[in-house]
Amino acid sequence: MKKRVISMLLATLMVGGALAGCSKGNAGGGATASEDGGSAGDGKVKEFTAFFSVPHAEINDDNEIQQIIAEKTGAKVKETWLTGQTAEEAVGTLIAGGEYPDFVDAGDGSVQMYEAGALVALDDYLDSGNYPNIKEFFTDQEWDSLRQSDGKIYWIPQFSNIYGEERVCAHNDEAFWIQTRVLKEAGYPKVETMDEYFALIEDYYEKHPTMEDGTPIIPYTILCEDWRYFCLENAPQFLDGYPNDGSVIVDTDTMKIVDYNTTDTAVKYFKKLNEEYKKGIVDKESFTQTYDEYIAKLSTGCVLGMIDQWWDFAYTAGDALKAAGLDKQGCQYVPLPITIDKGMKNQWHNSGGIVHTSSGLAITTSCKDVEGALKFVDDLLSQEIMDLRFWGVKDVDYQVGEDGMYSKTQEMRDNDADTAYKASHKCEYAYFPQWEGTSRDGKNAMKPEQQETEFYDGLSDDLKECFNAYGVKTYVEMLGTTPAPGPWYPMYTFSQTMTTATPGGTAWRSMEDCKHQYLPKVVMADDFEAGWKEYMDAYNACKPEDFLSEMQTELDRRVAEAAKYEN
Amino acid sequence: MSKSEVITKKKKKLSGADIAFYTFNTIFMAVFVIVTLYPVLNTLAISFNDGLDALRGGIYLIPRKFSIKSYVTVLKKDDLLVGAYISVARTIVGTLLSLVTCAILAFIVSRKNFLFARHLSLFWVITMYVNGGMIPIFLLYKGLHLTNTFWVYVIPGMVSAFNMLVIRTYMNGIPDSFEESAQLDGAGYTTIFLKIISPLCKPVYATIALFVAVYQWNSWFDVMLYNRMSNKLTTLQYELMKLLASVTSQSTSAQSMKNSTSSITPVSMRAAATIVTMLPIVCIYPFLQQYFVSGLTLGGVKE
Amino acid sequence: MAQQKKDKLSNIPKAELVKQLKRQWVLIVWSIFFVAYGLLFYYAPLVGWLMGFQQYKPKDGILHSKWIGLAKFKSLFSDATYLGVIRNTLAMGVINLIATTIMAILFAILLNEIVGVKKKKVVQTISYLPHFLSWIIVTGILHDALSGSGIVNELLLKFHIVPQAINFFAHEEYFWPIVAFANVWKETGWNAIIYLAAITAIDPSLYEAAAIDGAGRWDKIRYVTIPGIKSTIIILLIMNVGNVLNAGFEIQYLLGNGLVQRVSQTIDIYVLKWGISQMDYSLGTAAGIFKSAVSIVLILICNEVAKRHGEERLF
Repeated sequence: MKKRVISMLLATLMVGGALAGCSKGNAGGGATASEDGGSAGDGKVKEFTAFFSVPHAEINDDNEIQQIIAEKTGAKVKETWLTGQTAEEAVGTLIAGGEYPDFVDAGDGSVQMYEAGALVALDDYLDSGNYPNIKEFFTDQEWDSLRQSDGKIYWIPQFSNIYGEERVCAHNDEAFWIQTRVLKEAGYPKVETMDEYFALIEDYYEKHPTMEDGTPIIPYTILCEDWRYFCLENAPQFLDGYPNDGSVIVDTDTMKIVDYNTTDTAVKYFKKLNEEYKKGIVDKESFTQTYDEYIAKLSTGCVLGMIDQWWDFAYTAGDALKAAGLDKQGCQYVPLPITIDKGMKNQWHNSGGIVHTSSGLAITTSCKDVEGALKFVDDLLSQEIMDLRFWGVKDVDYQVGEDGMYSKTQEMRDNDADTAYKASHKCEYAYFPQWEGTSRDGKNAMKPEQQETEFYDGLSDDLKECFNAYGVKTYVEMLGTTPAPGPWYPMYTFSQTMTTATPGGTAWRSMEDCKHQYLPKVVMADDFEAGWKEYMDAYNACKPEDFLSEMQTELDRRVAEAAKYEN
Repeated sequence: MSKSEVITKKKKKLSGADIAFYTFNTIFMAVFVIVTLYPVLNTLAISFNDGLDALRGGIYLIPRKFSIKSYVTVLKKDDLLVGAYISVARTIVGTLLSLVTCAILAFIVSRKNFLFARHLSLFWVITMYVNGGMIPIFLLYKGLHLTNTFWVYVIPGMVSAFNMLVIRTYMNGIPDSFEESAQLDGAGYTTIFLKIISPLCKPVYATIALFVAVYQWNSWFDVMLYNRMSNKLTTLQYELMKLLASVTSQSTSAQSMKNSTSSITPVSMRAAATIVTMLPIVCIYPFLQQYFVSGLTLGGVKE
Repeated sequence: MAQQKKDKLSNIPKAELVKQLKRQWVLIVWSIFFVAYGLLFYYAPLVGWLMGFQQYKPKDGILHSKWIGLAKFKSLFSDATYLGVIRNTLAMGVINLIATTIMAILFAILLNEIVGVKKKKVVQTISYLPHFLSWIIVTGILHDALSGSGIVNELLLKFHIVPQAINFFAHEEYFWPIVAFANVWKETGWNAIIYLAAITAIDPSLYEAAAIDGAGRWDKIRYVTIPGIKSTIIILLIMNVGNVLNAGFEIQYLLGNGLVQRVSQTIDIYVLKWGISQMDYSLGTAAGIFKSAVSIVLILICNEVAKRHGEERLF
């Protein structure tokens, strides 16, 4: 019997040998095909390659909309995304190898790519007048802000760029969120401060310690996993009425950098959290839960409130809540305009676009057809292709009313949330330049999630009721909105690019580590004052002044840069 | 001696202490099986659960909302067939190459009177603890024209000191008398290796074959590093890894996540992909297993 | 006997040496192949170690980056955090090594004692399955089981061992044992395979002889099984001692949090945070060189100890 098994094994191995023989042939073929197929443009449809240093879901090769776009523009791009590596590692190997895909977004490694001479300067192409849609994408001032040390432009930031009138419905950023049922129970009161916010949650929790099905309620939880701990850490800037500069506050009166970690507001905020923790309102597992666990809690509808950014929970927990029918129990979240004191202006939401100067879509020196590549980007920005990318195919993914307005049926909305459908049908070219705001037809929004009517129709009854009670129609109106405070905004586009190569960067890294380690302890401390003092000692040892002074220098530079355009 | 004889023999001899021993052993194994089976069954249950529903957690052994959609998504993935084909090819070719070379190397260094045995051993032992880093290795493979070929999967790493040492230890356990008597009969080293030593080493060969096969089957990082641009050379694991893209996206920033909201993979899909890659290995396992799991009567150098 | 073979090359008379070399030509030809292969694929990339002494910039490559001598090493060892990180790595490495080795051997031996080949195969097959689960799945289940409402706390509360649920991930003292447990859980069955293979090589007549001498199960394990696999145990132990500084990355990353940061960070995590993610490739190389040096010193010591005791050794 043993012999038989051995001979079977041998047979498999031999078949395997044959297989391998074939695959060799294939291997060679595959490699050459992709090498010269890359940008040479065989036949009608040109094929480009692209690498983006972010993780993202892939689309299928035979994706339907990608095919349509290819027919219309004569080109398609095979996109690859970051897998199992850090962006820096990926960029490091790319540069060392000296072979690049045609398009690249190297993220924080963009400057390295530029320094290594891997990128093509775009100035001459942009000035040629052959790419009006790209040229139109930024104002001269914005284009200038993208110039590198040699005075040339190498990449095009893809996001947060508004065409025509701004259209926002969802507040895609940070806020204190609360379930609509808590507001409903209290008769939709006006909530302005943290005290009021927590009082609401406490009252509700006292009356309803469990869900309808008996699951215990978690009144308030904080996500603190790894880099997602910003939900805990950066609230003081908003509470003080400043917008999301991310790493610092910019005092608009004095044009000085202020550290939000050490303000009185920060002390008050963490003290409040500490009190609520002792009362048992703040989830005991806040600081040890993983992101998966956090999403699981939110998805069961048992968390009354939390502070987070919309994109961090809405597409997972938000969808799961709806799928479980919990929207009918009022478990969906709305943002509240909370500040440290009553009657302050809040800037949880800012209007206007943002140019993320630190990175963007670039074309590499390996690209054999730069003009063709730019032509493709130009085409992607045309209205027809924008609609295909984000709305989809007419009458399949959206319908057009008699008034020319786009809308979706429930079935279309369900398709949008289906992973398999997205991979086989939808093709957003998500990391290529794209418009927000109003379509060139002057009526519709560039993207479906910004279409007010479509947005409102897709809401559950509880949300509609809540919005009606406050006399608003969107999440953004719940908060109110202010224009961006100044041309320097946001400062985080600079702190993001800092590395340990400078003292400020080193300090920044240490501060992050310190906050990540001590803030949970502060919230859980038996004696808040002692805990805070311990934290402050460790914090000051990180030399935050090094960081702040580099931020001040950058702020001054940005302000001076902007002043040039004022006349 | 047949297996049943052994068993009856054992049964006859059970003493009090032995009964205690077997009871302890049975309990230990029962606990062990439950503890190790649980994560697998749990993954299976989640993989058959509806994706959105699975986000809520609390699924243990039975799916709460049954759905095969995760499997459909996973199996519909592009290039899955090409990937499976290359995966099988690299597993077979890689295992064969690695097993043969490691066995030869182990044979050489286990010859007691070979002049350079210790030097060669030391030379290989050191390779286990030094690593030039990702970038130099990448440049080397590129210089050797291994990138964008099938061979980059099976040639580097083919000889591994770990595998060699495991085989060597086993060979060292074979009495010298075998080699000596063969030598007296005029056999050269090639004959000794093929006819005398290798047949005795089946258990350890099977073990190493399993290790290499599993390593090859599970590999995806080399695909991404060296063959990212060659679609025809993709593997099953790499395709599934791409599907799971962001599962552990270390040191990502809020900014990059904000713009790629579709990058979060449902837990159910993660589970389905795990099961899909596990199945083939589990299926071929019994063929290898018999060489290292056997009754006391099987195996042994005197066979 | 083995010990006296030392310095064989210089002690052997020339004529004898030539004769030996002639007889061993097949072995020598193969050796040349293996040395060439090793030099090419393992030793040549070590050119990259130069990066540890440079401020490596991708644009300049290894050839043109700026030389900074030992600055990277100095900055590593002058950082108090890094010393803590080495301690964590070492501690977890040692705990894991001991726990996984003992469990794998114990499991292999006990499995071998199961009566009935079929039962044995089933148990063995199940035991190695967790090896195929990724860390993210394993740690996810672990998080579930150890959470406030998880099974572990439920049992502890039920039997009144603790007054209230323990938040296992909030306390530094639980972190290392949890990591060790996770390693044991995932890899015991897999690691046991080598020992199982070694057990098959034990001469069955030894068991029969022991049985005739009236040995029970325990005695057979003590006097036959364990000595039979001793050389395998020692070789694996020495090899793994060399790996104690590779205590891992993913598992600590997935199980750690701010509260236990002081004990959870390993060298690999530190390098990612302070090196690679800061575009500083040199720091990682410096840490890698340090790890290699420690590993090689450790295995040299272990090998010497094994040699003194006349045991199987690496080289």
